[in-house]
Amino acid sequence: MGSNDLKYEVSQNAYIKLVLHSLKHPTSAVNGVLIGRISNDTVEITDAVPLFHSQIPLLPQLEISLILIEEYFSAKGLNIVGYFHANERSDEFELGGVAKNIGDHISRYFPQAAILLLDNKKLEALKKSKSSGAVTQGCI
Amino acid sequence: MVTKTEESQLKNLEIQVDNGGGGAWEYLSLIRKLKVRRSDKVLKHGLSILNDSKLRSNLGPEEWTLYEQVAVAAMDCQSLDVAQDCTKALRKRFPESKRVGRLEAMLLEAKGSWDMAEKAYTSLLEDNPLDQIIHKRRVAMAKAQGNISGAIEWLNKYLEIFMADHDAWRELAEIYLSLQMYKQAAFCYEEVILAQPTVPLYHLAYADVLYTLGGLENVQTAKKYYASTIDLTGGKNTRALFGICLCTSAIAQLTKGKNKEDKEGSQLQSLAAKALEKEYKQRAPDKLPQLTTALKSLTLSS
Repeated sequence: MGSNDLKYEVSQNAYIKLVLHSLKHPTSAVNGVLIGRISNDTVEITDAVPLFHSQIPLLPQLEISLILIEEYFSAKGLNIVGYFHANERSDEFELGGVAKNIGDHISRYFPQAAILLLDNKKLEALKKSKSSGAVTQGCI
Repeated sequence: MVTKTEESQLKNLEIQVDNGGGGAWEYLSLIRKLKVRRSDKVLKHGLSILNDSKLRSNLGPEEWTLYEQVAVAAMDCQSLDVAQDCTKALRKRFPESKRVGRLEAMLLEAKGSWDMAEKAYTSLLEDNPLDQIIHKRRVAMAKAQGNISGAIEWLNKYLEIFMADHDAWRELAEIYLSLQMYKQAAFCYEEVILAQPTVPLYHLAYADVLYTLGGLENVQTAKKYYASTIDLTGGKNTRALFGICLCTSAIAQLTKGKNKEDKEGSQLQSLAAKALEKEYKQRAPDKLPQLTTALKSLTLSS
């Protein structure tokens, strides 16, 4: 549980990858993992790997992708530090059952993991205006 | 479901049309035939034909089909005024048409006036209770409003009447999956496989669901379906190859005390592992070390 005040830093690279992934598939839910490391009191999210845009709740693909991602990034000294999810419908702001399960699983391995949920309304506004507010809400 | 040849044909036409070489009408007709969802392109190219009166008159009676296609695409892209103009033009030409009535109800749905759209659909269904598209629109409306259980109900009723609609079974399976009702999703995929046993995608999805359900029998059946997918695709489906490795290690974990299927299982797995390594060498050679470590960890954990 987040008893100490951990700061989370999201790098531009990670952020852009996630937003672009969700824009590429506007008609389905997408998800991805956040990669980074923890240093002192901050969890630095340095990269992101987009995962699926269909068949999200199915286990085999998830297992394989997590294994391969873990392999690839531990060679670089980074871990899986979080999970990203974007819902299908534009006014759905809650983490569905699937996203919660995956998030729980990830936080079992990394207790300070963060879950980012894409705020679809803010994403729409991004196209029309030049606001630079984050389009995600974080939950732990 | 589109085959690979159709997909590449579509892509070629798309590139051609995007770069200013003609063929917009063939492109739009192909989209209509294959029922793919490329609404922004349809809108762009369809409007360019409709706004040019010479091209429009060349189409003859097909003009109205184009109006309908562009209206639906406009609704998908939220260009509601374009959709309204198209629908008005169609209504002027066919004042008593039910097909236009359907478009008008879809326009209400796109605007978000759910109740009015619901009323319109119900009255249209009274006149024509076997209209597949209207039934499906009702399901889509329930899904869009977040009423998933309502969507499931409508979809089940639809499937009682139209049992042969594979796309509907697939949609139902996906809805069940999003609610994590894996058993029901497995049932839907079984229906689709019965209807179209030579489409490898369904075997793959079914195997995925079985694996997710877990339990020794399910994982063993999943392995068989992964194998049939590989059979149907000539060994090229990476997901199925991975699936086999996962299944073998899961089965080995679940049957730690007994060693009945040891030889058979490990043969299949080593074949799958070799095929995976070959593919990675061809397509992504720098990821090969991760693959080998991952495969090793799967066999070691068994």
